[in-house]
Amino acid sequence: MKTEIRDQGTGISAAEETLRLLARLNAPDGLEKRVQKSLRVAAIPAARKARILSWPAGLRPSGGWMQAAPVRAAAAAAIAAVVVGGGWIVSSRLPASQPATALALPAQTGARQGFSSSGAMRTPQTLDRPVVEAIIEAPPERITPQTKGKAGLPVAQTALRHGKSASAKKIPTQPVGANTDAAQRK
Amino acid sequence: MSAGQAVFSGWMEIADKTVYEEAGRAAEEEALAALVSQYASTLYRVAYSVLRNAADAEDAVQEAFLRVLRHRETLGEVRDQRVWLIRIVWNVVLDRKRRMKTRPETDDVAELARVLPAEGLSAEERVAAAQHHARVLACVEQLPAKERQVLMLSAFEELNSVEIASVIGITESSVRSRLFRARNLMAGLLDHARSLR
Repeated sequence: MKTEIRDQGTGISAAEETLRLLARLNAPDGLEKRVQKSLRVAAIPAARKARILSWPAGLRPSGGWMQAAPVRAAAAAAIAAVVVGGGWIVSSRLPASQPATALALPAQTGARQGFSSSGAMRTPQTLDRPVVEAIIEAPPERITPQTKGKAGLPVAQTALRHGKSASAKKIPTQPVGANTDAAQRK
Repeated sequence: MSAGQAVFSGWMEIADKTVYEEAGRAAEEEALAALVSQYASTLYRVAYSVLRNAADAEDAVQEAFLRVLRHRETLGEVRDQRVWLIRIVWNVVLDRKRRMKTRPETDDVAELARVLPAEGLSAEERVAAAQHHARVLACVEQLPAKERQVLMLSAFEELNSVEIASVIGITESSVRSRLFRARNLMAGLLDHARSLR
């Protein structure tokens, strides 16, 4: 073998010897069995693989019986009958619709869209202010010369002319109840 | 004949037909099994000589027999089944080889050292022999495809030039001329490889 290797390097016989060695290699054990097995699996016809869905021999579509016009018409009629009949059965079993007595509002899903108010009141009553129990209508206030400003106009109007509001003049205001008391005294 | 009789006779005909089909299929399967047991190893060696990978070679053999299974109706018309099968596996192998070109090359030296027979050789000698075979095979790969194919098939003792011509699909004289060219080119490539060392 050693001499063979040395001789192989001398020429074309080297190449042929290498190729011959490769060509003489033994096949792996069990190759035939594996090939037979794969062939057995592949040889099973598709009809036998799908036995559950396969047609009976006389009714196979490959026979061409489905291509006949009467058979196709009958099949179409059967489909139409099933659809119509099914619809009729459903509609006959359902009770006749009645007008709704209450409106069903969809549930509010606002909580998911933002922050909730957590039950807090919009305007809490924190000030202890006087509460008007009864509204008494006061007679229209007469314009007295004391309250008149320049050019005979009321003070409020003159103030507006000079660009000042009525409150800027600090007109003493009285509560509604006080005015009514004074008027009653007069 | 009444309608019922017609229907039943039709069913009977179908049953007879299926029995014949089953019997024919069983016979074909038997013939195929015989082919497998007789030629599987030959086909494997042909495949391995090109692919140089045990798993790929086995896959190629399986694929070849699957092709045979698909065309089992023509089995009776084949004159020389051995050459016919080698031709099928040869085509399968060439297809695979073409597809495998994008894959990275496997380490041929290690594979050859493992696979090739090396009785009576030390570990070092075995590695040296594997390197030598790898160099030779690298030179074979550099040959033009036509010459390479003829050279590889000529290494099989079971195939003569007529059978090689039948496998590749050329004339016998073309086989001879290609083999002559392949040997010349191979000698040149081996000389060149030796001068580089």
